Order: sequence, then structure tokens, then C-alpha cells
Amino acid sequence: MIDTLLAILHMTIFPGGIFALALGFFCKGLDRRVEARLQRRVGPPLIQPWLDAAKLLTKETLIPKTACRAAFLFAPVFGFTGMAVCAAFIPVPGVYSGLSNMGDLLVIFYLLPLPAMALMLGGSASSSPFGALGFSREMLLMLAYETPLLMILLSVAMLVGKNLGAESSGAEFSLLRIVAWQQENGSLGFNPAMIPALLAYLIFLPGTMGVAPFDIAEAETELLEGPLLEYGGPLLALFTVTSALKTFVVLGLGIALFFPGTISSLWPVNLVWFVLKCLALMLLSLTLVKSATGRFRIDQAFRFYVTIPAALALCSLVLAWVM
Amino acid sequence: MTVMNTAGRSFSMPLGPVHVALEEPVYFHLTVEGETIRKVELTSGHVHRGMEAMATQRNLTKNTTLTERVCSLCSNSHSFTYCMAVENVLGVSIPPRARYLRVLAEEIKRVASHLFNTAIQAHIIGFKSLFMHTMEVREMIQDVKETVYGNRMNLAQNCIGGVKCDVTPELLKYILGMVDKMEPEVEEIRELYTSNSMVLGRTRGLGLLPGEDALRLGVVGPVARGSGLKMDVRKDSPYAAYPDLEFRTIVNDGCCIHSRTTVRLHEIFESFRLIRQCCERVPDGATTASMRQIRAAEACARTEAPRGEVFYYIRTNGTDRPARLKWRVPSYMNWEALGVMMRDCKVADVALITNSIDPCVSCTER
Repeated sequence: MIDTLLAILHMTIFPGGIFALALGFFCKGLDRRVEARLQRRVGPPLIQPWLDAAKLLTKETLIPKTACRAAFLFAPVFGFTGMAVCAAFIPVPGVYSGLSNMGDLLVIFYLLPLPAMALMLGGSASSSPFGALGFSREMLLMLAYETPLLMILLSVAMLVGKNLGAESSGAEFSLLRIVAWQQENGSLGFNPAMIPALLAYLIFLPGTMGVAPFDIAEAETELLEGPLLEYGGPLLALFTVTSALKTFVVLGLGIALFFPGTISSLWPVNLVWFVLKCLALMLLSLTLVKSATGRFRIDQAFRFYVTIPAALALCSLVLAWVM
Repeated sequence: MTVMNTAGRSFSMPLGPVHVALEEPVYFHLTVEGETIRKVELTSGHVHRGMEAMATQRNLTKNTTLTERVCSLCSNSHSFTYCMAVENVLGVSIPPRARYLRVLAEEIKRVASHLFNTAIQAHIIGFKSLFMHTMEVREMIQDVKETVYGNRMNLAQNCIGGVKCDVTPELLKYILGMVDKMEPEVEEIRELYTSNSMVLGRTRGLGLLPGEDALRLGVVGPVARGSGLKMDVRKDSPYAAYPDLEFRTIVNDGCCIHSRTTVRLHEIFESFRLIRQCCERVPDGATTASMRQIRAAEACARTEAPRGEVFYYIRTNGTDRPARLKWRVPSYMNWEALGVMMRDCKVADVALITNSIDPCVSCTER
């Protein structure tokens, strides 16, 4: 009973729910601000994502006549729920160690594609040709970036599992133990064998977040936001909230996998440290990349993902195997 | 459900008349198979304003203002060509100073127009920083326009018999200074567009218009020059001060989106050369010639606008209102080439290819 209550608290307040949303929206606000500064613009205030979401909530919900009503309404809820649950599995080193202590890396791997699937579901249910095209693009892109992600997770799990030896059976899929092992033996981000995997993860981030150069499914100047085209009001707000939660999840996962070090025994200090690391990771892999690139065509993006990040991740996987 | 159709059969996709990538309204009916375009149908006419009829209800002087409002980016070319046509019909020849000042205004507009088009290309491929940077550089030429002519888009420089605004020596010096400041910036932009792998990956070898098709369809301006055709009204039938000025006709035989962009970017430097020469060589004297009595006659005139050849035909009947005023704009000729360029292209490239002909819908439909 207490466990269930605690799990619900972890999904709604910390680290999932309110905290994840606040951090996600702050990241998005900072991202827009920094991008604007890089382009010598002023940019919107940091609270702009909150204002946007609040404005959308006051708007009317419109459902296209030809849309598949149930799927159209269900899609954003589906993506949101997936991310809300997933956020509770993300450890905040030195503050919170994750919802479960076994196999949660696999759970995260299964939950992570849910927002993309929600987008596909919503896009195809909207009955708009732009949504249909966005659907096929999103699916291709997802197939392309999930492969390197799987290899990244495997290489981290294998390396930690091997080092833990008798305590674990082969690969270690518990984030709790992965984080604990790194806190004792040094962060994997500084381990030469894991540097290719870290690079692959940095490349994976813009793809999964759907930002330039991989904003292909929603390509504004080609598909007018693709799957999101027919969405408006609270449903669209739910998509932006999901995206904010996903920002927290992928950044937090990156920190847990590669840089879970803490700098103090006090939890508030560790929390601030975690937030700073998240922001640094976001600025490096999302904002800078976004402002220095244009958009790939879907075939180019697919070819890119199945070659460079996949090769990098494979490199780490092999190194983790032989070392 | 629509999704089912993407599997093998084709489905139709509307693009426009209101679309982010299009600056002006035009409707593309695309038949799409997966990501590949199988058929393109164009429908236009959304912004028809009946300007040719309006021109016959206004006197010759008022029509200068009207023709300047045909289009925003090549506004100066329209009033320029119109004034030339009227001068031909009246038999007026304009003073040498006016010839140079007209070329000066025309080339300033050309720089702004070409930079705008290249910026939009970056916007379409989602390269926001490059778009912002190009527009920032363009802002300098906008400042020049505002400082010299008082307007940022429609310069209102041409009038029948000469030019309205006399550019003082201080302003000429200011223009030269701004050109010196802009040149390295534009050089940087040119390097970016010709070397950035992201831009090249989206533009090189796409939207092909082979030379023979270009000739058959009669395309003009940078579209023709990007397909290896050496045609430029400024050279072929020189007008105003162009015979006395040195510049090159830029030709690129890549036939793709990238080669058209390259032509535009190189032309900006030729325009800088022309602006410099105008500022240095502009003779002293009157800026306007006096009007003559209007007779019943007909005449035509053509100039090289940023998008290609603009042609004006005028027929007068002895009154101050033209009996007929007809013009043909470059986009009208380039429009048909889209069918060739978009053959079997990807959905992602439609907006890029459309932008590569630098379409001006308000000109074409007036």
C-alpha cells in the first residue's frame, strides 16, 4: 500500500509529474532563448512554454469530421501516460534512486517510443494527408534511432554487468546498480570504451526529440507540423506537455547512464547539480545542433542513423564485450 | 483511413494556397506515392487584382505608382520598364544623370531581392540560423533604401522622363561605404551556401531543368542562367546606363536548385560592382527631361528584373490615359518549368523547387 502510494507520488510530484514538467518546460524555454541569442534575436521569456500551454488549454477542442474520433482523442493521452510513468523510473543521483531496482532500463526502453507512437497514432487518425505522411516519416525515423539506442543501453549494461561479476548475471539492467557502480568507479562518460556510446547518445537526442536536423515528421515548411496539424487546444497542450516530460526523461537517462556523479552528500546540492547537468546536455546536443543545421530529408536521416550512431554504439558494445 | 493508401497506391495532397513555405498564394495539387510526387497540377489566380484594366483608367503619371505596386520585390523594375515604355511612346530621351540613378536603384533592389530568395531557401530547409543571418545582412541594403529613398520596399524612384530623387554626393558616399561593409558579409553567405553539406545535400542535383527544356519553355533570368543559358537583357539589349558599365553575366550549367542559388549569389557581387561604378561615374546635370505632347502610338520596353525579363507594351490614343497597357513578367515564363523540375521529386523538395524559380505570384496574376 505504502509502495503504491509512493509510486504514485513519484509519478506525479517527483521526479515525474510536476518536477519533470517544470524542468522540461524550463529546458524548452532556455532552448528557445539560447537559440534566439545564437541568431542575434532577443527570444521569448523563459516562461513562454508555460504561457503557450496555458493558452492552448483555454482553446476549443476541434475534431475533424473525417477523423477516427476515439484514436484521435486517445493518442495524446496515450503518449502522456507513457511519459508520466517513464519519468518515475529516471533516477536523480544523490536524491532519488528510481522506481524499481531491477530491469528498469528495459522498461524505459519500451516506454520511450510511446510519444512517437502517439504522434503516429494521432497523425493517422486525423485523416489528413499531412498526418499520413508524417506518420510514415516518424515510423522510419523511429526505426532508425531506436537501433543505436538499444545498442547504447546494451553496451552500458554489459560493461557494468561484467564489472559487477558474480552479483549480476551477465548484463546489468538495473539503473540503480548502474548508477551506484559509476558513483564508486567513476562515470562511464569518461571511460574510453564508452565514449563512442556517449557520442551516439548525443546524436540520438535530437532524433528522439524531433528537433532540427531531425524535425522531419513535423517539418513545418513541408508538412505543416504533419501529425500535429489537426490538433489544437487542450489536446495539443497535452502533446507539448508530453514533449516536455520526454525532454526530462531523455536528458535524465543520459545523466544516469554516463554522468551520475554527485558532488555532495546534501540532496539539494545534488538536485541542483543534476539540473545543471541536464541543461548542459540539452544545450550541447539539442540547442547547438539545432542552430547549426538545416533539416535532413527522411532518406538522408535514415541513412545517417543506421550508419554513424549505429557504428559508434556498436563500437562501444564490442569494446564492452572484450574488455 | 488515409494511412492505408501510403502503402502502395497514390493519394492526393494539397499544398497551398496558404502554406508556410509559400510566400504568396498558389495551389499545388500533388499526387503522391509514398514520398514521391507522381503528378503536379498548378492552380493560380488567387490574387488577381485586374491591374491591366486599372491602368487604362488612370493617367500616365498615376500609372507609375500603380505599376510599382504590381510586386514588392521587383517593384522598381516595373516602374522602370513602364517609364521606359512611356518615354519610347512619347519620344523622350532621359538625361544621363537619370540613367545612372535608375541603374543605381535597380541594382540596390536586385541585391535585396536575391538575398531574400536565398534566405527563404534556408528557411525551407529548416536552417533557421542561416535564414536569420542572411536576413540580417539584407537588413543593411534595406537601410540603404530607407536612407536614400525614404522607403524600404517601394523606392518610388522612377518617374516619366527621369528620376524623382536626386542622390546627393554624401548619399553616394554612404552607399559606397555600405557596399564595402556588405561585401565581406555576402561573401561569407556565399561560402556557406556553396560549402555547407546540409544545404548542398538538399539542393544539389535536385529540381533539374536541363538546358534544352529551359530553351523550350522559354525560361528567363536566374532560372535560365542556372541551366546554362547565357541571357541577360542588360547585355542583350542594353538600356539606361548599362552599355557604359562593366559587369559579367553569371552562368552556371548545374541545372539544379543549387546552381540557381549560386547564380543569384554571384549576381549580388556583380550588382555591387554596378552600384560602385554608378556612384563613381554618375554625371552632373538634370534628373528629368520635360514631357512631350501625348500622341497616338505604341511602344514597348524590356528590362532585366531580379527574376528575369520584364516586358511592357503600351498603346496611347492621344489622351493622358493609355488605351492598353500590357506586361509580361518573368515568373509567368518560369512557372511552366516547375512541371519539369518536379518530375518524380520528393514531397520534401516541392517547396524548395518552387522557391528556386523565385516565384512572384502577385506579378504573374496582377
